[in-house]
Amino acid sequence: MSVSSLAPQNSLEVASIVRDAAARRQAIEIIGGGSKRALGRPTDAAITVDVSGLSGVTLYEPAELVVSARAGTPLQHVTDLLAQQGQMLPFEPADYRPLLASTGEPTIGGMVATNLSGPRRLHVGACRDAIIGCKFVNGRGEEIVSGGRVMKNVTGYDIGRAMAGAYGTLGVLTEITFKVLPRAHATLTLVYEGLSCDRAVALMSAAVASPFEVTAAAHIAEGNHARTCLRLEGFDASITYRAGRLIEDLAEYGQPQRLDTAPSQVLWREIGEARSIIGPADHVVWRLQLPPSRSAALVNSLRAMMDVSVLYDWAGGLVWLSHAAGDDMTAVRTAAKAGGGHATLIRAGEALRRRVAPFEPQATAVEKLARGLKQAFDPAGILNPGRMYAGI
Amino acid sequence: MTQIAMPQPDPLILAKRERIIAGLQERVPAQWVITEEDERRPYETDALTAYRRLPLAVVLPGSTEEVAAILSFLSRERVKIIPRGAGTSLSGGALPQEDAVVVGVGRLNKVLDVDFANRTARVQSGITNLAVTTHISPDGFFYAPDPSSQLACTIAGNIAMNSGGAHCLKYGVTTNNILGVRMVLLDGTIVDFGGETFDQPGYDWLSLIIGSEGQFGIVTEATLRILRAAEGARPCLLGFDKVEDAGACVAAIIASGIIPVAIEYMDQTAIRICEDFAHAGYPLDVAAMLIVEVEGADAEIDVLLTHIEKVAREHGARIVKVSKSEAESAAIWKGRKSAFGATGRIADYLCMDGTIPTGQLPYVLNRIGEIVAHHRLRVANVFHAGDGNLHPLILFNANDDDELERAEQAGNEILELCVEVGGCLTGEHGVGIEKRDLMEKQFTSVDLDQQIRVKLLFDPDWLLNPAKVFPLNLHPLPLGRAA
Amino acid sequence: MQTSFSLAQLADSDTRESEKILRTCVHCGFCTATCPTYLLLGDELDSPRGRIYLIKDMLENGKKATVEVARHVDRCLSCLSCMSTCPSGVHYMHLVDHARKHIEETLPRPFADRLMRAVLATVLPRPELFRLSLFAARLARVTSPLLAALPFQWAKRTVAMLALAPDTVPMRSPYSEPVTIVPEGPPQGRVAMLRGCAQGVLAPEINEAAVRLLTRHGIEVVFAEGEGCCGALVHHMGKQEASHDQARRNIDAWISEMDGQGLDAILITASGCGTTVKDYGFMFRDDNAYAQKAARVAAITRDVSEYVLTLDVQPPTMPSRLVVAYHSACSMQHGQQIKTTAQGLLRKAGFVVKEVPEGHICCGSAGVYNILQPEIAGRLRERKAANIAKVTPSVVATGNIGCMTQLAGAVGVPVLHTVELLDWASGGPLPRKLMKNALLAQHG
Ligand SMILES: Cc1cc2nc3c(=O)[nH]c(=O)nc-3n(C[C@H](O)[C@H](O)[C@H](O)COP(=O)(O)OP(=O)(O)OC[C@H]3O[C@@H](n4cnc5c(N)ncnc54)[C@H](O)[C@@H]3O)c2cc1C
Ligand SMILES: Cc1cc2nc3c(=O)[nH]c(=O)nc-3n(C[C@H](O)[C@H](O)[C@H](O)COP(=O)(O)OP(=O)(O)OC[C@H]3O[C@@H](n4cnc5c(N)ncnc54)[C@H](O)[C@@H]3O)c2cc1C
Ligand code: SF4
Ligand code: SF4
Ligand code: SF4
Repeated sequence: MSVSSLAPQNSLEVASIVRDAAARRQAIEIIGGGSKRALGRPTDAAITVDVSGLSGVTLYEPAELVVSARAGTPLQHVTDLLAQQGQMLPFEPADYRPLLASTGEPTIGGMVATNLSGPRRLHVGACRDAIIGCKFVNGRGEEIVSGGRVMKNVTGYDIGRAMAGAYGTLGVLTEITFKVLPRAHATLTLVYEGLSCDRAVALMSAAVASPFEVTAAAHIAEGNHARTCLRLEGFDASITYRAGRLIEDLAEYGQPQRLDTAPSQVLWREIGEARSIIGPADHVVWRLQLPPSRSAALVNSLRAMMDVSVLYDWAGGLVWLSHAAGDDMTAVRTAAKAGGGHATLIRAGEALRRRVAPFEPQATAVEKLARGLKQAFDPAGILNPGRMYAGI
Repeated sequence: MTQIAMPQPDPLILAKRERIIAGLQERVPAQWVITEEDERRPYETDALTAYRRLPLAVVLPGSTEEVAAILSFLSRERVKIIPRGAGTSLSGGALPQEDAVVVGVGRLNKVLDVDFANRTARVQSGITNLAVTTHISPDGFFYAPDPSSQLACTIAGNIAMNSGGAHCLKYGVTTNNILGVRMVLLDGTIVDFGGETFDQPGYDWLSLIIGSEGQFGIVTEATLRILRAAEGARPCLLGFDKVEDAGACVAAIIASGIIPVAIEYMDQTAIRICEDFAHAGYPLDVAAMLIVEVEGADAEIDVLLTHIEKVAREHGARIVKVSKSEAESAAIWKGRKSAFGATGRIADYLCMDGTIPTGQLPYVLNRIGEIVAHHRLRVANVFHAGDGNLHPLILFNANDDDELERAEQAGNEILELCVEVGGCLTGEHGVGIEKRDLMEKQFTSVDLDQQIRVKLLFDPDWLLNPAKVFPLNLHPLPLGRAA
Repeated sequence: MQTSFSLAQLADSDTRESEKILRTCVHCGFCTATCPTYLLLGDELDSPRGRIYLIKDMLENGKKATVEVARHVDRCLSCLSCMSTCPSGVHYMHLVDHARKHIEETLPRPFADRLMRAVLATVLPRPELFRLSLFAARLARVTSPLLAALPFQWAKRTVAMLALAPDTVPMRSPYSEPVTIVPEGPPQGRVAMLRGCAQGVLAPEINEAAVRLLTRHGIEVVFAEGEGCCGALVHHMGKQEASHDQARRNIDAWISEMDGQGLDAILITASGCGTTVKDYGFMFRDDNAYAQKAARVAAITRDVSEYVLTLDVQPPTMPSRLVVAYHSACSMQHGQQIKTTAQGLLRKAGFVVKEVPEGHICCGSAGVYNILQPEIAGRLRERKAANIAKVTPSVVATGNIGCMTQLAGAVGVPVLHTVELLDWASGGPLPRKLMKNALLAQHG
């Protein structure tokens, strides 16, 4: 069966495509910018639906801290628009094209579907936390509204937020509304050098547990060039004061270098994009989430088994890790699980991704519910089937 | 009263009451199964006392396992279940029914584990919101969502309602501060959703469970994100002669690039009521007042407050009064957080909870005044202005049926107004019974059916907290709207 | 809250008051969180809001009290923490008093229960009888292990009662008779002091310290002729007639002093008694003969700490820097809303004062509660002792005899009345309870 490609221009067209596909039980692969198609389990779809035609910002009220955009709107377009008003998406979405060696233009819909968040997630929450409303087309071809455009809203279940991280398996997003934040007047990064992973995690932990509002904390573990970075944001007087207090309180970790606004921005963009661990194209990349205090021990145990490159973000709560494709593919996940966390296989060849589940397998009771949830949104099972888990 | 219809109790269930009670007593020590009419009576309502229904029985389990045993028994017997925390719901979320058993989590009130290194706390769900912060504050930490009712309301209720509070402007609401929950499903299965990590693989169950108003299962434990408190915090009071100016000032502060931790609004009626109770030094001669709080070290606070004062003066603030001591700050917040209760000194009230785009504040405040006046009633406005979450308190006399009816009518009109200007029916108190029949003003039946299908996944027979959230005509899903 | 009382019901003054109270309650539930029994039991029925609702239902329907309702009202400590918390100003004290009276009148209690209550109501307010019974209790304590093994509530209560009796019964106080103590110089003021029934027997040193402290500051103190128990004990058991009789006798005694040589204040050294005396005005609001007199008495009644605050107490020449955990009695902080007075006085007198965590929660004493509800009282005592231990004090100070007896064995350090420390710091003798303490001797 040949794959047909469709490019709807509005939500009505999306709805009618889905309705037809549902009637014929034909699987649909949803494509935003296609920059992350290499993520997750490969799907075998009869139809690809390119939603990049659903584009444009539909509402932006800087004084109310809200922005709404159609799902196919390029992420860059939204961030530029916000920047003009001195605002930003709080969770600092990153560009994974270098990591995934992909092309295409990342979209708002793809960002939400993958619940992508960068370094500031530590301080202000994930992409899902910034969603205050969305519209989507469910697997029956019905356009559903959830949430709205106001900051606080508990009217009905929060099903819109649950679209985040669902990889398009519950619905085709058509429009999303976010809470935005003012950009900081200035940024200062304190960079500590040469710390071991254990010491770095201890440092980040202490920094985050201080009252000085560290908005990002990462450790780039590159052998002798290890750098541990703490970010402060705000107006000048405030960050100067906070930096002073932090350096004093953390004196046992040495004297940090200071990076001011411009170099800080470059540094944190690179950390967000996980540049330091990209490595050769045949290396696989994992993304682990752990209780921060356990991350260093886990990495040490893996190091004893294989050669890994590692980047810690979110004060240790997020670990990016790459190793050669030939290495033991079960080690990372087993270790993550034992440490109270979970691992996602972010980059691997298609054959590997068919063999090794990209997402952490779920507990039986949860898996049963997940099937039920899929059924509740997409009874014919046509939206990105198998993208996250087999049968979902 | 009242305009909101309740379903008729199921005679089959009423008929087997003895057997249901016996079954409960087999699963929970008899002293925690409440059966006498006298003793069931205080469980007939929550903080929305206009609605009252005597439950069939009340059971107070002492562990997750007991909850599981109760749920599997009751669901097998097809008995309806009303989860209950502290019963402070303002939307009738914990309202029982004659053929339902109330399952209260008040005895599950312990802190299980605090992990400062990972900034998490695991608690039983019946602990009160403030008790969590009290427990961790000696170490400088706090749990951020702070409903005004935080002294009394439980984490369980907060999770069910996705509760917010004054300081949510900066720190987010419940859904932004929970990492995991342990929930008992109807059939007695105990499931852990989420965990100790920032995000979870698979579907975002926490998004669905938080705000599900007790219709998915009974939450018995939760893992909370806890935060290190700032070095200091200081509120200031801004007094305005014109209500519109206060409204415009809120938007101006935010547009200027500062997000205070809280911006709270009170009109003159509310100011007077609260000052009477808290002696906080509120200005009594202004039409409206904002409480704006910022955090940080003293020097940072000074800079922020200077900036805010400037913006406020430009927007017509006549009085700018900065708190000078911790005691004064505490009194300022005590007044605000007691606003609803203190209103009880002068009248009964219905508390509305719509949210609007903050740009609409001046218009909506005016319209609320007109609506209430039209119904020959009075209103006190006190609310979370920073995020547009209104709480008009419609004052009335509960012993006068006609006034109650007018108050409800005025309330409905106010909520419709909120939806009209782009807002929503409820910002933090939940739909419950109170706003159930207004849901179709905000959502199409297609939208609601999608929500209902999620509910049916957890509770296909509408046993959990039934007759709430969705208009009665929508449940069960009629044929032709097949699941 | 909505209420439904008939006009006929509202003709009754108590009911009218109760309906007013019920109307102000908005059922917000704030009070539940600060109620000691709710904290322990987690049942709405054992919370203020639940009790209010139980009472409302009972009164509205003119029902006789049931065993269930009585159980939950009996468990109430009358600590009035709920009144401190209530933003709406609900006067729980008057409501629960009304309920207790209604229960006493309409519910026949089991024999053992009645007997215990009758014994307490007879003995405690009568100092001579009470002294005798303390001696008896010391003897009877040998039976405790046997009683404790019995599955009956009365047995548990008896054990609890016996446990509270002190090891040594103090000497009779010189102030158990009517007497006036004059200061050395010309009097700066004249006050009456409540002799107190139980306190006078258990801890005569409190009033003695108070008298020394006051006279040292030029105040004349009178223990009025005919004055006795304030009536609180029986009042809390719902025995209105008995309590009113006792109160009338006190009112007469003090009015004759007020109209005679005159009084600046009536001082109470037990905050439990103070709460009741301050409420005399309300108690007699419908009593034509006593309404006015009672109101006059109530108007000049002060806790001893309130009065000492108005005196110009000189700071001590040699501050002891002793670490004092101040336990605020419920009747002090909630009943009389006196929140910081004693702490301030103690600090000024040179002590290092620590506030006890969870300080708003009752220690479980609550009059005769620790005898009638031994389980709950015991749990509260342990909880309080653990909280006190958190501030590692050398001594505990409080302003109520009930708390002193309740905490005495539990905290491992001496428990004193505030005035004993103030008296010592301003030149009085070292309190007897501190003498054994070698560490203190160094400080002192
Ligand atoms: C297994 C896997 C795991 C990944 N994990 C992460 C991660 O944890 N963090 C991270 O930052 N990035 C992750 N990625 C990368 C991420 O998916 C892409 O980089 C990003 O989504 C690209 O955006 P896009 O617009 O190009 O989306 P696309 O690459 O076009 O789509 C990304 C996903 O979103 C779906 N999607 C796109 N638009 C819509 C829409 N309108 N409605 C519904 N669904 C839509 C697509 O079907 C696809 O599943 C992961 C990728 C994969 C395959
Ligand atoms: C004076 C006052 C001020 C208030 N201020 C605020 C405020 O500022 N912000 C705010 O958001 N709310 C506020 N509220 C509303 C209320 O306090 C919140 O909705 C609170 O979260 C309810 O908690 P609760 O423990 O009292 O729950 P309940 O009232 O007992 O129940 C609330 C809902 O939770 C469900 N539920 C309870 N326990 C469980 C469980 N274990 N598992 C599953 N479901 C359960 C119930 O079925 C019900 O639907 C206020 C209320 C009052 C009276
Ligand atoms: S705090 Fe006051 S108003 Fe609220 S329930 Fe308790 S008594 Fe009633
Ligand atoms: S007086 Fe004390 S024990 Fe009684 S209801 Fe009030 S808070 Fe609870
Ligand atoms: S309060 Fe107690 S000790 Fe004081 S006089 Fe009254 S009954 Fe006696």
